[in-house]
Amino acid sequence: MGAATAHPAPRTGPDTEQAGREGARRSGSPGPRRLRGPAGEDGRRPPGWQTALRYLLLLVVFAVMVGPFLWQLSTSLKGPGEDIYSYPPKLLPSDATLDNYAGVAEIIPVWDYALNSLAVAVGSVATNLVGASLAGYALARLRFRGRGVAVVVFVMAMLVPLESIIIAQFTMARALHLNNTLLGVLLPGAVGAMNVLLMRNAFSHLPFEVEEAALVDGANVWQRFVRIALPSVKGTLAVVAIFAFMAAWDDFLWPLIVLSDPANFTLTVGLNYLHGTFADDQRLVAAGTIIAVLPLIVMFACLQRYFFRGVGEGAVKG
Amino acid sequence: MRKSREAVRSSRAAALALVGALALSACTVGTQNVDTTSAEGEVRGTITFQTWSLRAAYRGYFEKLIDKFEKKYPGTHVKWVDQPAEGYADKISADAAGGTLPDVVNVSPDLAAPLAKAHLALDLDSAAPQYRDEYLPAAWKSTKIPGMKGTYAFPWYLNTGPLFYNKRLFDKAGLDPDDPPRTYDELFDAALTMAERSGGKIATLANVPTIEDFGRYGVRVMNSSGTAFTFDEPKGVELLKRYRKLYRAGALDSQAFTSTPEQAGRKFMQQSVAMNPGSALDLDKFKKDAPSLYEHIGITDAPNNTGHPNMYVQGLMVNAAGDNKATSVAFAHFVTNAENQMAFAHETTVFPSTKGALDGDFFTEQDGTDKTRVRVASAKSLEKAVNYTPVLLSDDMKTVLQNAVTRALRGDESPEKALRRAAEECNRLLQLG
Repeated sequence: MGAATAHPAPRTGPDTEQAGREGARRSGSPGPRRLRGPAGEDGRRPPGWQTALRYLLLLVVFAVMVGPFLWQLSTSLKGPGEDIYSYPPKLLPSDATLDNYAGVAEIIPVWDYALNSLAVAVGSVATNLVGASLAGYALARLRFRGRGVAVVVFVMAMLVPLESIIIAQFTMARALHLNNTLLGVLLPGAVGAMNVLLMRNAFSHLPFEVEEAALVDGANVWQRFVRIALPSVKGTLAVVAIFAFMAAWDDFLWPLIVLSDPANFTLTVGLNYLHGTFADDQRLVAAGTIIAVLPLIVMFACLQRYFFRGVGEGAVKG
Repeated sequence: MRKSREAVRSSRAAALALVGALALSACTVGTQNVDTTSAEGEVRGTITFQTWSLRAAYRGYFEKLIDKFEKKYPGTHVKWVDQPAEGYADKISADAAGGTLPDVVNVSPDLAAPLAKAHLALDLDSAAPQYRDEYLPAAWKSTKIPGMKGTYAFPWYLNTGPLFYNKRLFDKAGLDPDDPPRTYDELFDAALTMAERSGGKIATLANVPTIEDFGRYGVRVMNSSGTAFTFDEPKGVELLKRYRKLYRAGALDSQAFTSTPEQAGRKFMQQSVAMNPGSALDLDKFKKDAPSLYEHIGITDAPNNTGHPNMYVQGLMVNAAGDNKATSVAFAHFVTNAENQMAFAHETTVFPSTKGALDGDFFTEQDGTDKTRVRVASAKSLEKAVNYTPVLLSDDMKTVLQNAVTRALRGDESPEKALRRAAEECNRLLQLG
């Protein structure tokens, strides 16, 4: 999409884009030229060795990114007595078993922990979507005194490391009697500064004329926000949802500090039990890791269509 | 991914350092009127007991233990929480600042020190002196803090262990697999030979020297009054110079600077490193996870220049600000008494800190297995063992020392300068705390 393209109406933006892509696919598929390989910018195909080099590079990066994950996956499936540290690593378990997954569930109440994590993560997604879009819209569209300062405050908030305020945060949670509760885990990350800025950018890149038109039709701020602005930034909402979910799901230090009763632990904290003081069973750790990562992969797989559109929304149009 | 996360964590730890110190000193003001010298009252009511990463493997033991205590003292109830391995120091300092510290807390001596300074640890010399004679004197003294009177935790389990080595790699490098190095000179020579004969491919050690290594090498790490660190004395410099030589020859694993002991253990199991410290429990792990290594495993004592091997001590601290101190003391003593420590030693490879326990058959009689051989040898070495880690050396100071060692070994700085700067920095942190 070109930078200068002003959509006739933001609502139809994604649709036209999709239609365009589909059209390209349709017209492209029968043509044999298209199938043979990526065409260069000027229409000519690059020489074969270049294409090969590209694919080679892609494969290398793929191996680097996915290799450790595959190692974990294969370790989690290996039975006792198999060499898990052999070099070069053996990826296919010779004595495959699912016992390690059952073993994890035996040592820690992994499903309870997963449920706790899920509650926090889903709650965090909800609060971030609502809070960040409201705040982002206000910062992008409403005119009020100190708006610039407010944006700067949000940027500054992103620069403060959690570690430097975590004890103050804990004493505050304690004063509110929220220590040892999942609400206490959720609250500090309920509306992330990063997400607010993402939403602000998404809103401020919508053409103002559309809202002006709505204004002429008699829509108030609330109506413009809900009916016009929000539907046009679905992609960024998906990005915020994934970020919020990941942040809540992966967080370790804060849940560790705010929760004291093991029954309330989230998955990341609970899985740390597998690194026992004297018993560090790499197979169980690997199985635990897979259990922890799975929801993230599922979530990303479900939202990826929106995700990449959302990344474009905030960054490319300008 | 993992590495970068660890880097983030260590910087987190550094950031937390200051805050933790501030929070603890702030809470000193608030807890000054806590009575840290007596624990009178009736043994009944509810207390909370916190262990450090023991639930996964020893849940049965602790549930039985608590059951026994509650039967012995009717009307008591012990709530057991176990904290994960990671972030334990952070967790404790947050709880100390927030006033949510459990009644009986599993601590190592260096974790007890800041709590004692914040008037949160019960002084057992005043509140429970009758138990002192049940424990090994060295263990009881492990939580003595320079500049303070008193003992701030019941000694619990001790740990020490041998050096494991890979006989196949020794053989391949032309070293005698049945005559492992026993002194530092032999160790460093063997490491250099190994590196040379393997073309720099096989390292012998996978960890940079830590404070325990300085201690074992004969470096005086702290002055006797506990007011300044002295690991930058010539002996310390000498140790670093020798390690630097190893590093340059490829005898020290190239990732040693960032390796945790766990990662070093993994390298040993991959058979890319020839020696690694461990405990009797590791033998089971080798058998299960690295059977091809287990066939060639060799065992030798960790060298020292002082005549005293190193030991690790875990203790149980009683929260002086708790409202049921009598029960807490009774429970902490119950967990650490001879009978229950012995039972725990049978569960895993730790050693009791009670007097006479190490003279029993379990720690003196051989039965022909490697596991027992290691256990007996370790128990014997505990007679003379000392805890080389000063109680005043906090996690942040350990990081300072580790960074200095890294700079010196990589040649970014001379060992003299790196150690001097580290000692100055640690002394500054000591003044702050």
